[in-house]
Amino acid sequence: MYKYDHIDQTLVNQRVAQFRDQVARRLDGSLAEEEFRPLRLQNGLYHQRHAYMLRVAIPYGLFNSKQLRTMAHIAEKYDRGYGHFTTRQNIQYNWVTLEDTPDILAELAKVEMHAIQTSGNCIRNITSDAFAGVAGDEYVDPRPVCELLRQWSTLHPEFAHLPRKFKFAINGAKEDRTILLCHDVGIELKKNTSGELIADIYAGGGMGRTPILGSLIKQALPWQLLPSYLTALLRVYNRFGRRDNLYKARIKILVKALSPEEFARQVEGEWLHIKDGDDNFTQAEWDRVAKHFTKPAYKSLQKLTNEQVISLAKDEDKAAFARWLERNIKPHQVPGYASVVLSLKPHGSVAPGDATTAQMLAIADLADQYSFGELRATHEQNLVLADVEQSKLYELWQEAKKQKVALPNVGLLTDIIACPGGDFCSLANAKSLPIAKAIQERFDDLDYLFDLGDISLNISGCINSCGHHHVGNIGVLGVDKDGEEWYQITLGGEQGNDAAIGKVIGPSFYADEIPDVMTNIINAYVEQRADGEAFIQTYNRLGVAPFKEAAYKNAKKKEKADSKVTGEDAS
Amino acid sequence: MSLTNANSSNAIAAHEHVLHFPKDGKPSLTPNEWLIWSGSQDEGGLPDLEHGKAKVLVPFKWWISHHEEADIQAKTKGGQIGIWFAADDDILKHVELINEGKKVWPLVAAHFPIFRDGRSFSTAALLRDRFAWTGEIRAIGDVLIDQLLQGARVGFDSFALRPDQNLDVALKQFDLYSVTTQNSWRDKRASLSI
Ligand code: HEM
Ligand code: SF4
Repeated sequence: MYKYDHIDQTLVNQRVAQFRDQVARRLDGSLAEEEFRPLRLQNGLYHQRHAYMLRVAIPYGLFNSKQLRTMAHIAEKYDRGYGHFTTRQNIQYNWVTLEDTPDILAELAKVEMHAIQTSGNCIRNITSDAFAGVAGDEYVDPRPVCELLRQWSTLHPEFAHLPRKFKFAINGAKEDRTILLCHDVGIELKKNTSGELIADIYAGGGMGRTPILGSLIKQALPWQLLPSYLTALLRVYNRFGRRDNLYKARIKILVKALSPEEFARQVEGEWLHIKDGDDNFTQAEWDRVAKHFTKPAYKSLQKLTNEQVISLAKDEDKAAFARWLERNIKPHQVPGYASVVLSLKPHGSVAPGDATTAQMLAIADLADQYSFGELRATHEQNLVLADVEQSKLYELWQEAKKQKVALPNVGLLTDIIACPGGDFCSLANAKSLPIAKAIQERFDDLDYLFDLGDISLNISGCINSCGHHHVGNIGVLGVDKDGEEWYQITLGGEQGNDAAIGKVIGPSFYADEIPDVMTNIINAYVEQRADGEAFIQTYNRLGVAPFKEAAYKNAKKKEKADSKVTGEDAS
Repeated sequence: MSLTNANSSNAIAAHEHVLHFPKDGKPSLTPNEWLIWSGSQDEGGLPDLEHGKAKVLVPFKWWISHHEEADIQAKTKGGQIGIWFAADDDILKHVELINEGKKVWPLVAAHFPIFRDGRSFSTAALLRDRFAWTGEIRAIGDVLIDQLLQGARVGFDSFALRPDQNLDVALKQFDLYSVTTQNSWRDKRASLSI
């Protein structure tokens, strides 16, 4: 894992001092709230429904046990004993005060963490594959590039006040676990035929009000040239992105308005002037950073079959343990090792992605004991222990069960991605957490969930789409109609290599109808699926019609909903 | 307010002192000698330079159509007229005019219509990189204390802050960081040297 050198550490310490001064000026009134706002956002500090919320960066999702203990400590000392892991591999605290924030940042700085650019109209925390460096299907370890770009983007002066926020995702595996195409810029790393590291660049993706998948605008860019190319790209966006309308200010609108070809041409024109400059990365920089991402001290072990691993469990545990192996264990590059997903979605939990102080401390211990002290945060709001010996999986499972993070629901219907919604977020039109909870309660039978197989269900409390409802196989969006909370369903969204934007099926529902609607949609799938067909495959074969019909089968309030939705643009 | 000029209603407000931060120097303050003419009331033409401030920054858009006039040329050569770029001026569309202007302008500025509009950061970067402008570039408009560091790094070396800004706090901004992780107009990234 990357370890700060004195430059990183100095920068982060100095950032704490700068923010402390900004907060002091805010508190003494010399800095107006309106002018403080972008400054605090660039440090991850939001003002929410009940309190300030602080979003702390976990660059490309990678962290260690010491950092997790600090996260736990912050939850305990400055918040209400829990933190919330987000889809963008950050952690959020919902109840901090403005006065405490500089101290929190100072505590984070001691363990090489910060909240720089986790919000605001700047380059945000860079996300990547949670299984980077260990995934069985990886062709390039993306982490050195992630780290080099983290450094390049940190406090970048020219791009500190872009038209809107700007998100990068970086992938280097066969399966895209980063939803590359839903980012302002997606960087796909590859090797060319001579074995050199190159990047394909996608631009203009994003969710929100106008969901758009990114377009390929540059192929086979040598990795060294990433800074100059991205400078050119961001410069075009900074100069010509729309600033007149918040909803049209994202790069996706510019790329769409110009066409991807024209956008690419303009970037190329700008790039020509700077591509040979000294912004580009050097081999020395690569070497300095890459040495932190070498493999840990793996033992030389035999690869075990599933049966061998299961045989380590007591008889009464075998069935449950096998399930966990099936859903929560991912293949590893090194024989005898596996990656483990700890589910932060126990049924009936308060919020998907929440972890309490006690859980964080216990998970930190598990990381030390079983996985070289390292962890990862996933886009699906779970945690990963990436390097576990197969022979220790049973032991780990027993420990994880004690912490209630061993539910074998990874990738299943109840592995719900949900935003904080109306319970915390001041932008929300509706609650999302109670909806997630109600669905988990309805589908609490693990046998049944297993039988249903892979289904993604994503919930957002408003059109900002923090919960990524557009790319869930089933998406739920909170909408506001005359001050009442309604929920609109989308179907057919997909993340990964076949990323797709879901279709809105029609009038919205009341909150209490949603569990029935889900049951109806799921029943339609079960009735019509072919052998071995996943939900999304059945959907893609049959189209939206049978599912839509099922969803409205007994919608008691349909007429009312119909009349209310008429004429309004909910998306 | 610092603007005593008769044309103040047609001017962009600025602090009565300018903060200079030359590339290899230290930050300091000097009295603001320049009127920043908004150009919005073109009818009367260039503001009177006899009875208020003696120097004026004119909008680049205005320069485009008036620079050939003899008295404008004379005043520019005499150091009395400089230009400012609006945030939405596409300077790359005026390469020749800017290259010509470089020979005569005593000062160029870039405008921030509101502090959170970062277009002029790119304008300054382009003036330095692409046009190799080595003279002063002044940040004008809604220029606040917390923009100074970024401005200084993209290529600004003088700042006409908004009149209400506290200059003592402003002067201290440039000492906040001793390291950087990307190149800027002032220095290369610290991480290149280890
Ligand atoms: C209460 C705190 C939060 C606030 C105020 C907030 C605010 C926003 C806003 C305004 C946007 C829309 C930007 C746009 O696309 O135009 C957004 C998008 C997003 N937020 Fe949040 N958010 C919050 C919490 C979260 C949480 C907890 C997560 C993760 C679980 C999250 C993940 C995202 C993601 C992934 C997007 C991106 C959609 C895209 O790709 O365009 N946010 N958020
Ligand atoms: S989707 Fe809306 S309600 Fe949910 S966290 Fe984002 S901004 Fe808030």
